[in-house]
Amino acid sequence: MSKVAVELCINGERHEVLTEPHRTLLEVLRVDLGLTGTKENCLEAECGVCTVLLDGRAVNSCIVLAVQCRGREVLTIEGVARDGVLHPIQQAFIDHGAVQCGYCIPGMILSAKAFLEECPGAAEADVREVLAGNLCRCTGYQKIADAVVAAGRAVAAGG
Amino acid sequence: MATRELHVVGKSLPRFDAPGKVTGTAVYAADFALPGMLVGKVYRSTQAHARIVRLDVGRARALPGVRAVISAADVPEVRYGGGLKDETVFAAGKVRYVGQPVAAVAATTSEAAEAALAAIEAVYEPLPAVLDLEAALAPGAPLVHEEWQSYTAIPILHRDGNVCNRARIVVGDIERGFEEAHRIFEHRFRTSMVHQGYTEPRAAVAQWDSSGTVTVWSNTQLPFEVQNTLAEILQTPPSKIRVVVPGIGGGFGGKLRVGVEHFAAFLARKTGRAVKVITTSEEELTAAYPRQGTVVELKTGVTNDGRIVAKEGRIWFDTGAFAGSGPGVASVATLVLAGPYKIPNLRLEGFAVYTNKTNCGSFRAPSGPQANFAVESQMDIIADALGLDPLELRLRNIVREGDEGPTGQVLNAVGLEECLRKAAAAIGWSDRRPGKWRGKGLACGWWTTTGGSSGVYVKINPDGTVALNTGAAEIGTAALTGAAQVLAEELTVDLADISVVSADTFSTPFDFGAQGSRTAFAVGNACRAAVADLKPRIFLLAAAQLGVEAEACALADKHVVADGKRISLADLARLSQQTGGGLIAQGTFIAPPTAYDAKRVEGHVYPAFHSPSFHAHAVDLSVDAETGEVTLHKYVVAQDVGFAMNPTYIEGQIEGGVAQGLGQALSEEIVYEGGRVVNANLTDYKMPTTLDMPRVDTILVQHPSLVGPYGAKGVGEPPNIEPPAAVANGVASATGLRVTVLPITAERIALGLRDAG
Repeated sequence: MSKVAVELCINGERHEVLTEPHRTLLEVLRVDLGLTGTKENCLEAECGVCTVLLDGRAVNSCIVLAVQCRGREVLTIEGVARDGVLHPIQQAFIDHGAVQCGYCIPGMILSAKAFLEECPGAAEADVREVLAGNLCRCTGYQKIADAVVAAGRAVAAGG
Repeated sequence: MATRELHVVGKSLPRFDAPGKVTGTAVYAADFALPGMLVGKVYRSTQAHARIVRLDVGRARALPGVRAVISAADVPEVRYGGGLKDETVFAAGKVRYVGQPVAAVAATTSEAAEAALAAIEAVYEPLPAVLDLEAALAPGAPLVHEEWQSYTAIPILHRDGNVCNRARIVVGDIERGFEEAHRIFEHRFRTSMVHQGYTEPRAAVAQWDSSGTVTVWSNTQLPFEVQNTLAEILQTPPSKIRVVVPGIGGGFGGKLRVGVEHFAAFLARKTGRAVKVITTSEEELTAAYPRQGTVVELKTGVTNDGRIVAKEGRIWFDTGAFAGSGPGVASVATLVLAGPYKIPNLRLEGFAVYTNKTNCGSFRAPSGPQANFAVESQMDIIADALGLDPLELRLRNIVREGDEGPTGQVLNAVGLEECLRKAAAAIGWSDRRPGKWRGKGLACGWWTTTGGSSGVYVKINPDGTVALNTGAAEIGTAALTGAAQVLAEELTVDLADISVVSADTFSTPFDFGAQGSRTAFAVGNACRAAVADLKPRIFLLAAAQLGVEAEACALADKHVVADGKRISLADLARLSQQTGGGLIAQGTFIAPPTAYDAKRVEGHVYPAFHSPSFHAHAVDLSVDAETGEVTLHKYVVAQDVGFAMNPTYIEGQIEGGVAQGLGQALSEEIVYEGGRVVNANLTDYKMPTTLDMPRVDTILVQHPSLVGPYGAKGVGEPPNIEPPAAVANGVASATGLRVTVLPITAERIALGLRDAG
């Protein structure tokens, strides 16, 4: 299949990739651009480890084609910390002991980030609702939910 | 120990690898890539049991982009395995389960590899298959391995046809025990096959160099075992096999044994290129190393006042087409069937049984949830029949300090009564049925801290920081953070001063691996041994500098102190580098053997629980009377951890273990129909999400073990054991319905309630 040129804006940087049109954003991020912070697992939008933000909304990058992202803003986990300073959600995950194997964590953080930007002071029940598409097998979700609620409070308080 | 103030161990310090994991810079095996590497994929059997009439890979080999297609004809004829060598890299002659590897391909792209798989032609002649335990055990059943007698096995195993091990514990006189009993209870339970559910697929990249050495980057939990297995399979000396674990996205026992490493290594050898193999979810759910489904039969004799006087138990493990962990798991199960109870007469048997299904393996506390589900369900049935409070029945039978375990081991640091009382208090046990269709359930158990040896190298850097070099892999539990805390404590440095290099079979010392709740325990003790080795040399060096006696020296706050003088570890490390090769040490540890009565066991590869842990779980739940849906309101775990090395991460182990246990209790099952898995995807294989999990209250009970660092016991596996039993007992309390099959789905409850009228 012939390749097409796709200009992508990822974490604020422009990238031009030459790719077959059937390839997913996940594959292009991981294979072509070496951005392996976005994880791969089920490849059919069931587990959420590949979550990235597309124009600020959380999507499963395993079912988004790279060519669909032309002219749109993609945020991956690599772009969440700025100038070496962790985002409050990242810091909260560390502070609450919410990280175990860590493979689901980039997706969790991005799902949480998209949500907290809409609803910073969210309650635990809302946080759990929003993270229901992100499977984690290590933590039982409690410390993840606690971290996101705490980060939300910090964001709401302007922290 | 109690008199010494602790600065690092016992504190909830953040794990050293957290920043990399929250920023996406941590590299896992699934992320690992080399320039120009090929994509490897596996062609698998579509038949449960069949003779391979023809296998044609010619068309696949000729496709564009395809660099190699290999099958049994291309690899050494080797049977490998743990205690029983019955497995081959590719099916040869016949296939034994749907999903068994038949061939593998390497191609330049994923699409080309897929096309190659589609172009392979296999013609099968179906054979009668044994698709469940009953079929495999029936008289005259087809044999999964006709040639089973020719296989190499450790002599301890008792094998017979489709039974690849029968382990047994016999204590006292079971017949007399049943004669003494006032009541005898007989029950049968069944549990389903379940998957570990790690979020990172199994993955490996292999590359051979010009010296004939292969390096395999893999997410195995046991790099040294994989090194040895690859040596056997590849017919290459272990010294030519380097296994490196970049990072692991969860394992839970599913990444112990060679999984995809051998395919990557063979394909890389054939093509002269680096090859990466990574599993799909479908492969995971059809051809990995899940937890065995079981059938359990229990016959228990009790007196009217609730003393258990005899227990006869049998548990059959559906271990699939190859033994895998089955023979060992069947052994461990007998100790779980005994339960944490004092029972004078026991006859307990575990059977590992071949069937035409995927090769089962180890999953967090192998055999624990299945056997405990039966034991603890039956305890509640007995309590109800005797008119006793289930808590009281347990308290009348549990082991206490100094009691004997089932095989005669002497138990110490037994915190079980405290666990039971605290869990019961926290769930509000005195009000067991707080409302209509609402109930509370309780379950308790015991588990081992697996032995095996661990070695570490320790180096004090010239800036006073410390390098810890360990062969263990960090699989997510923070066990290596725990070990680093021990090292920091012993050297009086901060956790942040420790850097960790791990899991590389060429450069790190041997470790028995991240399995069996042993890593923090064993690596922590190896760190203590290394510091014990290093201290005299540090003190000699310091004494010469300070003009004091070496005997007067002590470590404090990153310095050697003596007679009011002090010198920093950094200065000593620099000095030693100039004069003596630097401050380096090694430390090794192996758990001392646990004494037991060998006359009580046969066919048993795990006759005692080392530094056993004790635990009690309690749940408060509701059942929807119409749909059977279970809602969990609260879950409590009281676990005797010996010493809480890092309370936050121990809570994390418990919360996560409970989540996996609740999945097995309520929703998870690999469903086979006619030898095929019909739910091989993550929508139909139902693992708990954020919305399924209740809050888990953790109570850390600390009865220090005699062996573990600072008294620690193994922590990681136990929380996975009791949830199915606790939930079953809660459901029975809420509804009066006793469900004896896992998972306890809404459907099973609703049908059970309907049948009960």
